[in-house]
Amino acid sequence: MKKILFAVLGVAAAAAVPALAHHSFAAAYDMQSPITVHGTIDKVLLRNPHSWFMIDVKNEKGEVEHWAFEAGTPSGMIRNGYTPTIIKQGAEVTIKGFRARDASQKRGMLRELTTADGKVFGLFGPQEDKK
Amino acid sequence: MKPLALATAIAATFAWSLAAADAESSIPRMADGHPDLSGVWWGGADIGGRPAGGGGGRGAGGPGRGRGGPAPVTFSSLYTAEAKDHAKTLSDKDDPTLTCTPTAFGTLNVSLWDVGGVGQIVQTPKFVIMLTETYHGWQIIPTDGRGHRDTVPPSNRGDAVAHWDGDTLVVDKTNFNDQTWISAEGRVSYHSDELHITERYRRLDKDTLEVEATLEDPKVLTKPWVVPKQTLKLAPFDQIMPLDCNSSDVKELIDAASAQKR
Repeated sequence: MKKILFAVLGVAAAAAVPALAHHSFAAAYDMQSPITVHGTIDKVLLRNPHSWFMIDVKNEKGEVEHWAFEAGTPSGMIRNGYTPTIIKQGAEVTIKGFRARDASQKRGMLRELTTADGKVFGLFGPQEDKK
Repeated sequence: MKPLALATAIAATFAWSLAAADAESSIPRMADGHPDLSGVWWGGADIGGRPAGGGGGRGAGGPGRGRGGPAPVTFSSLYTAEAKDHAKTLSDKDDPTLTCTPTAFGTLNVSLWDVGGVGQIVQTPKFVIMLTETYHGWQIIPTDGRGHRDTVPPSNRGDAVAHWDGDTLVVDKTNFNDQTWISAEGRVSYHSDELHITERYRRLDKDTLEVEATLEDPKVLTKPWVVPKQTLKLAPFDQIMPLDCNSSDVKELIDAASAQKR
């Protein structure tokens, strides 16, 4: 098992809903329920209709939880500078997003992903040219 | 008109004629003289991407982006009263594209793009082949004068044939099933199996493709929907990407994650 770093934080960091929250994001995710998790990447799925970041997170009890965060369409991410190997399995990351409306799911919509070395990715990939 | 004004007008007309001639001469042509529509076409950027000059990715050129003014006419805004009632029973959770089913037309009103914002045309003397990146859609469209086939079943994207009207490619699509929507993004836009789409493609110059479309569906529309004219730009790459669509195994992963079974 990969090294697990921190617990689910559940930080209420109010953030602007991405202007491009499309498909059924609004139906699936509660934009009033921001969440922040810190852990290690288990799997990244670059695929339609949307990409996914699977992350292992240690909760307050020290147990590993498996979370899934939905991101943008792969073509948009790739043409925005994301590459299939840019975030590898086991990479330490922090993900900010919004929780699924179905609270039984450990699932969210990705708003921002930050790597251990400070690289920031949004719903559609790298963000450095967007500030 | 004074001589100076007349001379200025003549010069302006001459300059415009030269520019038009330049644009005309920049259009690639097939051996038979018809315009060659081949290329990767987008709006100037991909969804969520950085603009590559000119266009604006998702949202470029479509209806409903301006501020003020009347609401744009959409397919569903022309529903019959009965169709409107049925539409009220549907919502974004019913959007067929969530399960990797393509649209019948396109979210940005460009069928070449389907649910995305990038598509490729490959043209041969006998066919115009339209390839969609998102959801890997394709249509092989004969241009040799043949009619629609009666040997193929109704399909998500319909059966297409085309002919040339001067330099304009006129595509006729019919034989759709009724399992798709006109666009994605949760916009309820169901249609019937009597959907009929006519599209006109015209390459204005080397880098610009203009597309017009009219959608008819007498079962659910009060009148045909004349789609706003779309202007596509030649992308700075010559090959779309192979990106799979698979929502079923992701659901399993999510369910497994939720149940902590892995």
